[in-house]
Amino acid sequence: MTSKIWTEHYRPSKFSELVGQDEIVQRIESLTNSLNIPHLLLAGPAGTGKSTLALIVVKELFGDNWRESYLELNASDERGINVVREKVKNFARTKALGQVPFKIIFLDEADALTPEAQQALRRTMENYSATCRFILSCNYSSKIIDPIQSRCAIFRFKLLEKKDIEKVIKKISESENLTVTPGAMEILYEGSEGDCRRSINLLQSTASISPSINENLISTVISNAKPKDIKVVLDYALAGDFLRAREKLLDVMLKESISGQDVIKSIQKEIWNLPVEPEIKVKLTEKTGEAEFRIVEGSDPFIQLQALLASFVLAGLGKG
Amino acid sequence: MPWIEKYRPKKFSDVRGQAEAVTKARKFMEEFNLGKLTRGGKKALVLHGPPGTGKTTLAHVIASESNSEIFELNASDLRDKNKLHEILKPAIEQQSLTKKSKIILVDEADGISTVDRGGLSELIYLIDLTTFPVIITANDIWDRKLSPLRQKTEIIQLKEIDYKTITDVLFEILRKEKLFLNPNIITSIAIRAKGDIRAAINDLQSVSRMRDPSIIEFHERNKEVDIFNAMRIIFKGKPNNDTLKLFDSVKMPIDDIILWIEENIPAEYSGIELAKAYDRLSKVDVFKGRIYKQQYWRFLIYENALLSFGISSAKDGIKTGFTTYKKPSRILKIWMNNQKTAKMKSIAEKYAKHVHVGQKRARNEFPIIKQIIKSNPEIQVELKLDEDELAYLNK
Repeated sequence: MTSKIWTEHYRPSKFSELVGQDEIVQRIESLTNSLNIPHLLLAGPAGTGKSTLALIVVKELFGDNWRESYLELNASDERGINVVREKVKNFARTKALGQVPFKIIFLDEADALTPEAQQALRRTMENYSATCRFILSCNYSSKIIDPIQSRCAIFRFKLLEKKDIEKVIKKISESENLTVTPGAMEILYEGSEGDCRRSINLLQSTASISPSINENLISTVISNAKPKDIKVVLDYALAGDFLRAREKLLDVMLKESISGQDVIKSIQKEIWNLPVEPEIKVKLTEKTGEAEFRIVEGSDPFIQLQALLASFVLAGLGKG
Repeated sequence: MPWIEKYRPKKFSDVRGQAEAVTKARKFMEEFNLGKLTRGGKKALVLHGPPGTGKTTLAHVIASESNSEIFELNASDLRDKNKLHEILKPAIEQQSLTKKSKIILVDEADGISTVDRGGLSELIYLIDLTTFPVIITANDIWDRKLSPLRQKTEIIQLKEIDYKTITDVLFEILRKEKLFLNPNIITSIAIRAKGDIRAAINDLQSVSRMRDPSIIEFHERNKEVDIFNAMRIIFKGKPNNDTLKLFDSVKMPIDDIILWIEENIPAEYSGIELAKAYDRLSKVDVFKGRIYKQQYWRFLIYENALLSFGISSAKDGIKTGFTTYKKPSRILKIWMNNQKTAKMKSIAEKYAKHVHVGQKRARNEFPIIKQIIKSNPEIQVELKLDEDELAYLNK
């Protein structure tokens, strides 16, 4: 059965179909053909082909029965390294069938693991090295501890360029009978931020409304999907309306289910766009840093964020 | 017999310091009796105000003045409709036997929980059902959870009783008891009671038995303070060393008190005071975090000091006027949101597994993904969505 979800349906199944990562594809293809691959560490931004490449490797190695020799885990979804180790243990207990002497474990978002958990992972990798190969993926290889990095062949995925995304979109729109105007293509690329999965999702989401895709339609879809802006919260605070700022903040955090630290990140970025004096921007940045520090030390991020909002109220009064 | 019972008013004319409330209550009863004939008007009365202002007393006075019996329900009786029916049945049937009318009293409605059980909706159901007047007492009718009640009921506010009235009442009691006390002590009892006449009478009775009442130190008295009063003391008053011990007398875990303070800071403070108070609250939270992480309980002292004295001293001088303090609303909001987003999360989880992405990323991009899934039934089948999840999508 082929999937109706385009990111699945149009996911490349051969090395030659993968866009934008030519050099990596060549190297990994030759490794795969030798039927003996080392552990791999795939580093790079979201939606550049890391999972896809791992799947291609597996399918090339194991053919139609690939599911029996492949375990996919997502480090940020599993509850702790012990769960990961348990699953790996169960999977690695049986030997691989067929001509390939190992099985493959794909651990997505490995940089979500703490350094301690990564140490545990390293031991697991060693224990099962006779029967298993690990493919780790991460956004930043710097967040992976050195001992793991040194055990893996590292591949750095580039952000996809406009021509790469365009190629993918064109291919899909042809087989789905869509018309995409050049302007829409431009916005699709900007909205995707080099993330191929996101651009395909945007395309399918828009196409579910109409098959002729123009600038306006796609802009509407993108702006509807944008998380509620933290900026609105800060605007209320600067205008002196603490209560509404607080209510909005809780609203945003709950609806988008974002953490206190994520909010701090957006506030810190937003400060530089605020209509206040440079001196106050510096003070607010310091306050924001202090709030982040206290979130780490404290127990209830929302209290820290309220304290920070109160500082913004003061800044709005010119007393920051 | 405690004086508080012995001298509890029996008639409207005995009730002190609540002239306006008494007038309104009489009017309500008159209209209720008329309404019986015309089927109009409200059937329930809410008496609300701080502790010790005479809410329950007024309810009993209304009953005795209208020659009715009190039939009292507490919050736990309101947990489900079946139970409520069972309890009310005898009350309704007995009417023909005794010929006495009844008044249904729901005391301390603040205790009704709305979160886990439908106590409040049962209460409203009761009001719709009843042929007897319903009297409800509550500390804070403006609490959001009680808002459905407000449309169905006549609301009467009982004010804090001013200290002169309290002084008069205390003198009267002493006269009847044939006792003598130094007037200074009586006045200071009345002032310390802060509008709570029940506390004042209790204090008077305890002091009257002492051989030398002048040695009593009123500041050291450790009476239980309810949370509304505690808020008032923190936000209105001038901080002193008693403030430091205030929360020892509040029957509530300190974590809950933190939420009360958090909710109510903006009700009193603004500008610099607001920032100062929240800065101190944020330090309270930091100490709380350190206690959890290091299990070093001595930090509790700092947590407590910053939360009481620290918050109170964030202002210049004192605050006047009446402020309605709200119950913390954040926990309830989080709970309600979790109910709402549970389905979103389960759909995102199925989607994530299916297309090889992390669940967190699927949740982040859910608005786009939702549109894709919603518009294509084949995908809904492909992801094996259940009925609840489909209902969520099409809502």
